[in-house]
Amino acid sequence: MTSTSPDAPDVLDGLIDLERGEIDRRIFSDEQIFELEMKHIFGRAWLFLCHESQIPKKGDFFEAPMGRDNVLVVRQRDGGIKALLNTCTHRGNAVCRAEEGNVKNFMCTYHGWTFGLDGELVGVPGMSSFYRDELDKAQHPLRQPAQLASYRGFVFATFDPDAPPLEDFLGRTGRLSLDLIAERGDMEVVPGIQKFVLNCNWKFTVDNVFDFYHPQITHMSAIAVGAIPVSTDAIDDGGAKNEEGADLSVPQLPTDAENVVMIAQYGHAISGPSQHAVEKTAGEAYRDVFAWRHTPEAEVAFGPEGNAVGGHPHIFPTSWITVDCQLSLRIPRSPGVTEVWWFSFRDKKAGPAERAAQLARQIHSFGPAGLLEQEDGENWSQSTLQTRGGQARRVPQALKMGLGHGKVRACDGLHIIESPVNEYAQLWTYHAWREWLTGSSWDELRERTTPGDLL
Amino acid sequence: MTIELERGADQTLLTQMLLQHQVERFYYDEAALLDAHRYDEWITLFTEDTHYFMPLRRTMPRRQLHKEFTQPGEMAFFDDDHLMLSLRVQKLSTGTAWAEDPPSRTRHLVTNVRILSDDGAELVSESHFLLHRTRLRDDLDQWVGRREDTLRRDADGFKIARRHVFLDQTVLHSQNLSNFF
Repeated sequence: MTSTSPDAPDVLDGLIDLERGEIDRRIFSDEQIFELEMKHIFGRAWLFLCHESQIPKKGDFFEAPMGRDNVLVVRQRDGGIKALLNTCTHRGNAVCRAEEGNVKNFMCTYHGWTFGLDGELVGVPGMSSFYRDELDKAQHPLRQPAQLASYRGFVFATFDPDAPPLEDFLGRTGRLSLDLIAERGDMEVVPGIQKFVLNCNWKFTVDNVFDFYHPQITHMSAIAVGAIPVSTDAIDDGGAKNEEGADLSVPQLPTDAENVVMIAQYGHAISGPSQHAVEKTAGEAYRDVFAWRHTPEAEVAFGPEGNAVGGHPHIFPTSWITVDCQLSLRIPRSPGVTEVWWFSFRDKKAGPAERAAQLARQIHSFGPAGLLEQEDGENWSQSTLQTRGGQARRVPQALKMGLGHGKVRACDGLHIIESPVNEYAQLWTYHAWREWLTGSSWDELRERTTPGDLL
Repeated sequence: MTIELERGADQTLLTQMLLQHQVERFYYDEAALLDAHRYDEWITLFTEDTHYFMPLRRTMPRRQLHKEFTQPGEMAFFDDDHLMLSLRVQKLSTGTAWAEDPPSRTRHLVTNVRILSDDGAELVSESHFLLHRTRLRDDLDQWVGRREDTLRRDADGFKIARRHVFLDQTVLHSQNLSNFF
């Protein structure tokens, strides 16, 4: 499980210990590891760029990150979509500095080299007088990722020509994750992508997607004002006390007991409460909100196992799909800086009241002013900060919850663990992360990230 | 040479100055409440039908600048009615809203106050702000922007019937927006 290809650096040795459930903290601050992530993960994986509804008309573009590169996703004259690396092939300047909009051409503001919507170099000032008509324009188009594809309107690209087709990369688990948005209707992105910067390593943001152990404490204030429903029961405090020495009363969330985990090839995972637990918790008032999950079409599309999923899907490396029809992208900018983007979806056919209610839930839960996410960033930035201490970095991260009890059930092409609140999906993600970093071939990677019987 | 000001013009100017003074004093008192963490009193400055809105801003080419800000009904950072704003205030008072506990230290600077219109019952004013926040040991955030308010006259002075906050940032350079603007 820990063998590496010959060119894998020693720095990866012993970082992830699945048996002990321990993670070396250096992975959150080490520059060399970050460079390996850029090369072996963000240089190879299929990465989510945007949704087709964001660029409906020819010339519409949306700038999206691919690792440290930026690409312009552009609606073509023939209705197709291309992604173009946002760097002029003359002197490297960005050919577009807006984050979205509509253009007829991309014109570099340095010397005026002009590129068509398809990235072809179509204009060079001084072509005759300065270049003597000797420049072969066909040799200098804007570069494109090796592959680009859409799954149900979600546009992904990869820099690796050898990457398997998008649908194979996503697998059943990844496709199910996107179906949880796509199956709701004729979906489009609500105008406006929330974008904000956190001083944390990107892996903390991923880890937290699956973490249903933190809401009771991190989001205590949101629970107190009714933003998260709780039962009147408390879970055992396990000896935890508040700063005044009183026993810590930890409210039980009705979703605590019933969790569904799906772990999958390449590191995709879904983990969180079952749909049944989510609906029971939300109560009668939210019956209409979940009606779409119970249409015959949806139930067929998801299958019996998929119907049980109510928690948080994550498409490796950085795309999280929420219960309220949002996709959050976590963009590594440096080992200690991550940008978070929120794409919010709606059904084009939804009525005004339904639309308004959904938008309110989307705005008020997550994002920097969301009643929940306000608190999250502080945990991640403080956790990242402590990984820089000479001594603190030697304290391993402990992901030991339920360790050795995660019995994997293979069913209908999915790998499922049923359990109360747990840390299986986090462990799985770190395991897959390490396998990516060894730089192994796609076949090796697929094999080493195929779930076994126990976690 | 002497310039004789007509008494009428004088009176108009005095009325404007008085109103300007009242509005500015309202904003300074409001800022003082926020910086002293007196949110329970701050929330009483809003009408029951208030709309507290902070749209997203996007970097757009000049000719598409009319699309720079999202509109109500689109994505936003804040899109709050009185109930939601009250929930935010309650959340801060729980003592477990960790993004504000230990509390941030804030300084609300309000300038460039201009009264844009006044129909007697309500007036529309514009103000610029700098919200300076330090947090924990060395966290530092600064938000600069423009507010457009509808202030409704009542027996006590003014109530905020609408506040739209336009930040100067597109990508937000802070890990949360746990303060009020």
